[in-house]
Amino acid sequence: MFKFYEIREAFKQALDSIKVNRLRSFLASLGVVIGISFVLLMGWVLSGLDKAMSDSFKMMGVDVMYVDKHDWSGGKSWKEVRNRPNITLQQANKLIESLRNVELAVPVARRWQAEIKYGPNKYQGITAQGTYYQFGFTPGGTVEYGRFFSQNEDQYSANVVCLGWKVYETIFPKGDAIGKTIKIEGHNFLVIGVIKKQGTTFFDFIDNIVYMPLSTFLKTFGKFRRTFSIAVKAGSEANLDNARAEVEGKMRIIRNLKPGEENDFSINETKAFEEQVKVIRTVVWSVGIGMTLLSFIVGIIGIVNVMFVSIFERTREIGIRKALGAKKREILLQIIFESMFLSLFGAIISFFFTSLIAYVTGTIVIQYIPQVEFLSPFMPLDLLIIASIISIIVGIFAGLVPAIRASNFDPVIALRYE
Amino acid sequence: MDNNVLIKTEGLSKIYQMEATQVVALHDINLVINHNEYVAIMGPSGSGKTTLMSILGCLDSPTDGKYYLDGQDISSLDDNQLAEIRNRKIGFVFQTFNLLPRANCIKNVELPLIYSGVSKEERHQRAIKALQDVGLGDRLTHKPTELSGGQRQRVAIARALVNNPNLIFADEPTGNLDTRTGEEIMKLFADLWKKGNSIILVTHEEDIARHAHRIIKLRDGVIIDDFRNPNPIFV
Repeated sequence: MFKFYEIREAFKQALDSIKVNRLRSFLASLGVVIGISFVLLMGWVLSGLDKAMSDSFKMMGVDVMYVDKHDWSGGKSWKEVRNRPNITLQQANKLIESLRNVELAVPVARRWQAEIKYGPNKYQGITAQGTYYQFGFTPGGTVEYGRFFSQNEDQYSANVVCLGWKVYETIFPKGDAIGKTIKIEGHNFLVIGVIKKQGTTFFDFIDNIVYMPLSTFLKTFGKFRRTFSIAVKAGSEANLDNARAEVEGKMRIIRNLKPGEENDFSINETKAFEEQVKVIRTVVWSVGIGMTLLSFIVGIIGIVNVMFVSIFERTREIGIRKALGAKKREILLQIIFESMFLSLFGAIISFFFTSLIAYVTGTIVIQYIPQVEFLSPFMPLDLLIIASIISIIVGIFAGLVPAIRASNFDPVIALRYE
Repeated sequence: MDNNVLIKTEGLSKIYQMEATQVVALHDINLVINHNEYVAIMGPSGSGKTTLMSILGCLDSPTDGKYYLDGQDISSLDDNQLAEIRNRKIGFVFQTFNLLPRANCIKNVELPLIYSGVSKEERHQRAIKALQDVGLGDRLTHKPTELSGGQRQRVAIARALVNNPNLIFADEPTGNLDTRTGEEIMKLFADLWKKGNSIILVTHEEDIARHAHRIIKLRDGVIIDDFRNPNPIFV
């Protein structure tokens, strides 16, 4: 088998030979540059997506679920959901009172597509939510500035409101919202708090909400023909299954469902968003994988080609090396190392290239296109490691056949090769 | 076997299979060469002298017959074992120098040492020493393209010597040199012989062969003459 010095020397000879052929080496590795760049960029986008998603889930609370007439995952038909009976406030309160295995449960009422105004600043399309003061104890109700509304304000239907981050940024671009009076659908409200930013690019609707006491909400927007949802906090991710089972069981009783009858309500969890992200993921993957495979094939052909040219061009050199005592395996190893270096070299170029793209995106492009905020300005390290390994494997494969050819050159003939 | 015997062949033959026809390059070569002999193998082109050198130099295997180098049976060795023998026991000097064009003198001379696993420092020292021995102490970092033909052949000789081989093969070593430079190179071989090296010179030129002490003539793959040279040049 190989002796250590043989490997070490083959390694060095390969490096030397690449160094003396810089331009050709660079051209040979271009295919790999493109291939690895695709892998890296794709992984970069996907890891950005994943992180955006899990960050948002964490902010909203992974142990939170919403009992709702509507299904968030999009898995149910729109018609079926529309025909479900509303969840009344009585039903919501009944559920809340009956739950034993949860940390917290509060009713939530929503008014979609509301308009908010402060002085000349107008913002259409927010969601007004009415809930209990306890909502302030959940991650979704944690304030950045000011405070959440109190039990008192809830009791006396005070016209106070907490703004979601995006609403705050839009209406108060200069900051300083606390104590200001705004108009929601023409009604005056005192801003007492701003909720922490929770969403990311794909989930910014979470920050597009204003919170007010439920009693205030009902007084302002009316209580008839309204459906309520119940926000349930399980207390921990581990208790989620437990809590879900309890919620489902009790809700079925409250809704008078017979055994075997389908639920006429949905239990929505933050995980429901995963379904939406999966679509984006799949698109990125399928485009990426196709492109990557294609460019890798081009890359491998490029390297194989250059390695063949290179060994025939150096037939005499290989003959000399053999005459001076190089064994077959030493020639084989040198050529494989060369091919591996070419490929790895291509990978390194792509590291710099894609890192530059990531950095420019994360620092400059983001100022013009804020939607790219989910992308990290740095290439994830694990991706770089994976790409290096892929490039090494590609290099070894590409070099295999030329290396075997070279190692089998007959020294007598090779020495006379012109 | 006599300790003084370096090379011994018994019924050595080499047949090349060319599609339908067989070409007999060597036929029944029986040869004994002792240590510290200076032998010229002569013959016109096609006489089989290059084939003989290839086999004696362990670059090629005979089709038939036995070849003992330094008492070791070479004819049955595989490619890797032959490579090791070439590396440790044989030095080659070629007509076309066969240096690596992009490597400097030291790197070229180091090459055999790389394949015998000599450490980097020792390699470097020995390469410099070998280059100094052939009078190129001031050209260590030059590349072959920056050297004259004679200098290139000296680098090749330094490379042939650097691993202290038992035997040096010189295949038309002056073929690409002008007469004066050729004489200088031949002087160098004479010096090497005086230092105890065994040299086998392969040439078709009478003038060059006359530097050797023994001349073996080949024709059509057989030895037609084998005699002592009474007046070798430079001795």
